[in-house]
Amino acid sequence: MTKKIALYGILASLALIFGYIESLFSLSFIAPGVKLGLANSIALLLLCCKDLKGALAVNITRILLSSLLFSSPFSLLFSLTAGISSILIMRLLSGVKSVSVIGFSIAGAAVHNCVQLTVASVLFGRAVWCYLPFLLISALLSGALIGVLSSIIFKKIKTNPFL
Amino acid sequence: MLKKGDILIILSVLMLALVSSVLIFTRPRTGTTVTVKVNNELVYKGSLFENKVIKLDGNTVEIKDGKVSVTQADCKNQICVNHKAITEKGESIICLPNKVIAEIE
Repeated sequence: MTKKIALYGILASLALIFGYIESLFSLSFIAPGVKLGLANSIALLLLCCKDLKGALAVNITRILLSSLLFSSPFSLLFSLTAGISSILIMRLLSGVKSVSVIGFSIAGAAVHNCVQLTVASVLFGRAVWCYLPFLLISALLSGALIGVLSSIIFKKIKTNPFL
Repeated sequence: MLKKGDILIILSVLMLALVSSVLIFTRPRTGTTVTVKVNNELVYKGSLFENKVIKLDGNTVEIKDGKVSVTQADCKNQICVNHKAITEKGESIICLPNKVIAEIE
């Protein structure tokens, strides 16, 4: 248990750093909120190890800390709802045999963006749905990229007794 | 590395993006609110898509199937009655003698 807490702590801080690195090169010119989602690779890895609780714990910790450190508490609303729902959908799909990491990474990214748009439409009005096609395409690309990355990492660490 | 389910997910996300972009970019850019002012005072404000006949002193404004027209006027020139029905945002029909402005916002 203690070992796990330590591991989650390390992973959460790694995810936090990923989020910070991402904020250095903004992709928001495509549509507001577009990002690579590097931090998601950690949640993906934990889900690959069938650790839903860990994935949720690490992701929620990351979101709370990053909104505290780098952005406004207002953005917490977006990140938290989207983060939790995308993890749940990824968990759901990771149980399906014919879906690989790449598949549920893409689905998670798409759900993440859709939930964020839903929250934004509640706050700012329905006009934000105009961004949906752009956000879906960027979810497809970044989700695939992070999915491939995670599957490569997962193969490497599969033999590591640490996880 | 890609499995059957992955391709299904990719295709469905692509489809969703395609359908949503078609829905968004083919939507007519019309306004949705009709305002009627008399002597620069707002007397009516409502949806463009709610059929309605608004009777004013001297004029009748009709909203029907997303079009606004003035169907009756008691003035001599009848310019507003002969004006074609308006449908687009920013368009207006003005009756100068009665100081009536019907506008789509």
